[in-house]
Amino acid sequence: MTVSRIVFDHVWKKFHRGQIHDSLRDLIPAVANRLLGRGENERELSEGDFWAVRDLSFEVMPGQCLGIIGPNGSGKSTSLKLLTRILEPTRGHCEIFGRVGALIEVSAGFHGDLTGRENVFLQGAIMGMSRADIVRKFDEIVEFSGVIDAIDTPVKRYSSGMNARLGFSIAAHLEPEVLIIDEVLSVGDLSFQERAFGRIRDLTRSGIPVVMVSHQLERVAELCSSVILLIEGGVAAHGTPREAISAYVRQADVWRAAVNSGLIVFDSVSLSEESVVSGERFAVLVRGRIPNPIGEQIEPVRVRLRSLVTGTILYATGSQGLRFDIARVGEFSVRIDLQANVAPGKYLVEVIAVDPAAKKDVATYPAIMLDVQSPGDFVGTVQLNASMSLLEPIA
Amino acid sequence: MLGDLAEIVAELRQSRDIIHQLTLRDIRIRYKQAVFGFAWALLLPASVVLAGLAVRLAFAYVSGRHIAMNQIAGMALKAVPWGFFVGCLNSATPSLVSNKALVTKIYFPREVLPLGSVLAQTFDSSIAMVIVAVVLPFLKVTASVQILWAPLLLALLWILALAAGLFLSCANLFFRDVKYLVQIFVTFGIFLTPVLLDAAMFGPTGSRLMMLNPVGAILEGLRLSVVEHHSLLETVRAPAGFVVWQPAYLLYVAVIAIGGLFMSALFFHRSERRFAELV
Repeated sequence: MTVSRIVFDHVWKKFHRGQIHDSLRDLIPAVANRLLGRGENERELSEGDFWAVRDLSFEVMPGQCLGIIGPNGSGKSTSLKLLTRILEPTRGHCEIFGRVGALIEVSAGFHGDLTGRENVFLQGAIMGMSRADIVRKFDEIVEFSGVIDAIDTPVKRYSSGMNARLGFSIAAHLEPEVLIIDEVLSVGDLSFQERAFGRIRDLTRSGIPVVMVSHQLERVAELCSSVILLIEGGVAAHGTPREAISAYVRQADVWRAAVNSGLIVFDSVSLSEESVVSGERFAVLVRGRIPNPIGEQIEPVRVRLRSLVTGTILYATGSQGLRFDIARVGEFSVRIDLQANVAPGKYLVEVIAVDPAAKKDVATYPAIMLDVQSPGDFVGTVQLNASMSLLEPIA
Repeated sequence: MLGDLAEIVAELRQSRDIIHQLTLRDIRIRYKQAVFGFAWALLLPASVVLAGLAVRLAFAYVSGRHIAMNQIAGMALKAVPWGFFVGCLNSATPSLVSNKALVTKIYFPREVLPLGSVLAQTFDSSIAMVIVAVVLPFLKVTASVQILWAPLLLALLWILALAAGLFLSCANLFFRDVKYLVQIFVTFGIFLTPVLLDAAMFGPTGSRLMMLNPVGAILEGLRLSVVEHHSLLETVRAPAGFVVWQPAYLLYVAVIAIGGLFMSALFFHRSERRFAELV
């Protein structure tokens, strides 16, 4: 028996912009050319073509989970479609060894006029489950989806959330040897999302090879053992989740534009530790220089903590607020001590220089990811550093 | 080439559950929210027989001869297979395009979509065929050993319908013109196929042309063997003396149906990989 795995070997995929054949006037010469063997080389770019995926290679072995991240239109979903044989590579070779379970468009096969029950059998069969498997797991699937009451109602009467939940539940009960996940982590309401995420986590940790595409960087960081950053079809970074996500945040300017006015130059920014337990202390170390004297109003070092999940700024402080005087010219090297009084999760530490009067950044440094670990039994969204002690008995 | 065919067969064997579920879906949704429900499976071929009856009455009036019972029997017998073939074209042609969400998102052998349409239509037409079998004795049709030709002819018609369904669904994905061409064929095909009329009514040349249409040859073969008790291995002549059936027709139909299925399956399989991009 071969080991189940996913192989992508120097895969290229060409797409065409615009209409393929606008009219008979274009079509007839194109067909004639092809018949005469004079057609343009299928494997090269011609006018209007572009590479949706260029020279992508990776291998995922059992127990590994590969994440693919990147902006819209960067080729993530195309890569998955190549994997699942929906599309054929223009060049290169990709193959999956093992029975595939794909959590992609989990309710694509539903028919509105059929009941939930009928659709479970239909969608299950389309996803590759045998009838016996579906019969065996039917109760479990329905239970997981939470649409028990409506299971004999046509799905056209379902809300879109119910639809998606039922679809996800079917897909989540496949017993795949290889798992492919495309952006299905945000199905249903919050409690279902938690349940769905738990299910996916169990699947990814069950020791099978997994490839997942998601915009939820926090989830990617939690589930994946390695991550590829795709930009315009090409690999921009391939490494640990930390490296790839930092590269993504850095280059894609997800939340802010890079600024480099030359007033202040940051040479290096680092964290005293990349991983810290919630409530404990860490430090941001900043080295930089100010080539020419700057005005009093400019704040040369400002630190912000941003949530990777929501993108909102949770906290910001700076040399002015801390009443720390950095020389108005020359080199500087400072340390900002902070306490990680936030919930466990992934955060970004950003160092900038600002001009508060003009309300704009005058210098930025690529964000660094901070991993806040759970102290064990964490509940909530902030860390209040509680402690408990015995009072003197009241007389 | 043989490799492709082996691949198709292997894939379809693995896809038995999908084929079953898709066929069930097509059967279930067919008459959903229709008051008459499955009665439509009978009402549609019955309307063809009624139309044929009207045409024959007009002919009878012009020629001054009565309509014979076995003429009506012949029409009823041909209406159901014709309805089957037309139904297959109508449902299989758009089967890939209307399941776009599946074709672009989930991998499974695409052959199952037109195949499911043909199977659902087979279920429908089988109901009607059973009714026709019950009605025929009342139309003074007696049984003979020649009735054994019917399963063979219906099998060839089924193969022909599947071949056409595979080819047309695929062609329609590339060029939406196909849908309109099929509509034209379905509307006017009944005049170019001996359904309402018998091939012999078109004269020596006309009947030979009618038999070039493989569906026409199958329908005429059905009528000649079941209603008129002719062996299809013999040449059959019309009362006027010209040939209306010869054994070669059987071979011709078999070659077209089986060869057509090979060709269209191959065409389908080879273009399958481009479906998701072009649909």
